[in-house]
Amino acid sequence: MKKVVVAATLAAALAVLATAAWGSTKGSSRVAAPANAGNALVKCGKTRSIGLLAPFTGPAASIGINQVHWANFYRNAYNRSHKTKIKFVNEDTQLGSANGTAEAVKGAQALGSNSSVLGVVGPAGSNEVKATTGALKGAGLGWVSGSATNTQITLDGTRTGFFFRTVPPDSSQSKSVSAYIVNNLKVKRVYIIDDQEAYSTGLADEVQAQLKAKGVSVGRDGVSQQQSDFSSLINKIPRNNQLVYLPWQLPPKGQAFGQQMKSLGRAGTKLMGSDGLFDPLFAGLGSNVYDSFFPVNPSDARVAAFKKLHKGTELFGAPSYVAAQVVTGAIDRACKNGTASRAEVRAQIKKTKIAASVSLLGLQVAFDKHGDMVKKPFGIYHSVKGVFVRVA
Amino acid sequence: MNWSLFFGELVSGLTLGSIYALIALGYTMVYGILKLLNFAHGDVYMVGAFIGFFVLQWLGGALSPAVNGWVAIAIMFAVAMVGCGALGVGIERFAYRPLRNAPRIAPLISALGVSIFLQNSALLLWGPQFRSYDTFDLIGVKSYSIGNNFFISNIQILTISVSIGLTIVLALVVSRTRTGKAMRATSFDRDAAEMMGISIDRVISFTFFLGSALAAAGGVMFGLVFGQIFSLMGFTAGLKGFTAAVVGGIGSIPGAVLGGFLIGLTESFATGYLPGGSVYANLYVFALLIVMFLIRPTGLLGSPVIQKV
Repeated sequence: MKKVVVAATLAAALAVLATAAWGSTKGSSRVAAPANAGNALVKCGKTRSIGLLAPFTGPAASIGINQVHWANFYRNAYNRSHKTKIKFVNEDTQLGSANGTAEAVKGAQALGSNSSVLGVVGPAGSNEVKATTGALKGAGLGWVSGSATNTQITLDGTRTGFFFRTVPPDSSQSKSVSAYIVNNLKVKRVYIIDDQEAYSTGLADEVQAQLKAKGVSVGRDGVSQQQSDFSSLINKIPRNNQLVYLPWQLPPKGQAFGQQMKSLGRAGTKLMGSDGLFDPLFAGLGSNVYDSFFPVNPSDARVAAFKKLHKGTELFGAPSYVAAQVVTGAIDRACKNGTASRAEVRAQIKKTKIAASVSLLGLQVAFDKHGDMVKKPFGIYHSVKGVFVRVA
Repeated sequence: MNWSLFFGELVSGLTLGSIYALIALGYTMVYGILKLLNFAHGDVYMVGAFIGFFVLQWLGGALSPAVNGWVAIAIMFAVAMVGCGALGVGIERFAYRPLRNAPRIAPLISALGVSIFLQNSALLLWGPQFRSYDTFDLIGVKSYSIGNNFFISNIQILTISVSIGLTIVLALVVSRTRTGKAMRATSFDRDAAEMMGISIDRVISFTFFLGSALAAAGGVMFGLVFGQIFSLMGFTAGLKGFTAAVVGGIGSIPGAVLGGFLIGLTESFATGYLPGGSVYANLYVFALLIVMFLIRPTGLLGSPVIQKV
């Protein structure tokens, strides 16, 4: 029996290692788009289909549902005011779940094989954008994310002409964050903890380099998104450290980290999150919490209407409203003669020009040659009584 | 020497080890009686964490519990332990008992099946999202310090104390009670024990009840200390508990506790001191397991079994 125990234990250990190895390689596949990808014409009809890739469930569901609500808010408004209608084909990506980006890839494949889908809104995470590139690009679909901010996903050329986003990149976010830490918070010692995902490590690298260049002492570490026990890691943070920067995607993890900081006597240390943690769960940790977030025009009448409809919910998903607006507008223009191909929709996304007055972001939405917005500011927020208030 | 880091990792390791020890006890007791590796045990621990969470909600939630926070925690422990004890008995009755005389691989596969069944049922019933215990709001977590280097919170003290307390109670049950004597007899020789009039079914059911109740206590502790629980939390914790049981010497109750603390401390100190430790702590834990097998195949407190050939 001893041998059985030994064999079972080693098998279990191998399973853990194999899972980790699989998780670290699965996002790297690259598929070039076939020459005629997305050229097939479809009849537009009265109702046009748009894929919606979002974390409906899973650890990031709190921000995912917010994105879905904003996208649906746009769809409902559009359908009320137009003769033609749009409908979303929903696919759940389960961002941050134990099986990594597998659900996002499955969802992207399903959208790619659905010939009625002309464009896609989402996915939420930069790692998901990378993982779904093969499926979406291979099917000739253009896709617009309302939250994927990793700098390189537009600049590496892998998905140029296919992928666009309605949020500024991390290069913009990192500049705002490092400037605020140095100039406003006057902090000299910072500890950065990434969550090992593409979005997080990219942003952490940029902030780290910028802070070091400004003479700030920076410590660096990482955690797995699956981790819940941060106590050992918190012990490693020097007691005289003034601020911990968490460029994470999952608000419940940010909340758990903050709670464990408090329970280990580190309540005085400031916490700064990134756009992924722009959520009441993180804001609720107290007045020493800061965050960076996309530009959203808070005085827009639609923001008030949305908050009324969804009982004071947060603005994280607002750029997904704009993403839906971009894809819908592109489909409308491509469908002018009654038929459209995915390639035509992509070309129209590229030509998007939404005036500042109707973009919800308070700035004009137009894309550069990489798929980034031409204008890309980022805001800094401070938690006041559990609610993020813009301070820069 | 950074003593603050050292003591911090020590307390974190003991806290984590307390939880692993409680899970390992269930593995080791069931193995001792049935020679079965109950791979569903980690998922029973997950169910315990969820029962604790729902009891807290039933009591009004962490922000406004209907009773004192500490009383709420006591009720959470009690209900989760009884609930999971009953679940353990049910699992044994329907998934393992019919296979008691089947080849050993059959109950092992059945255990894996129960594990997947529980995981997916939890996903279906409670969804994949995280649930927060909000321990801060419930009892107001406080941190105590001795000098400038030693820090420990009231919830860490509670976790370590409850774990040690439950282990002592278990040891007393096994060594001092009539049922404990029946458990030991069944573990030693099941057929002989049956011939001496011991109800084997009852002893095995009781063993499952005890093991599952301890796992539930571990689940509630996890929620209280680390704040959040989720449907798939049982898999890794179960593996670690199993590893702890094997490192300590499977079948040995003191060994399970020792193994639990050893795994917890290894994970914690690896995070604190080894390169990439905060991301790859599991690598170090399972490397320890392999080294342990090479040096002492029966585990720390396990003894070699002599088989008639």
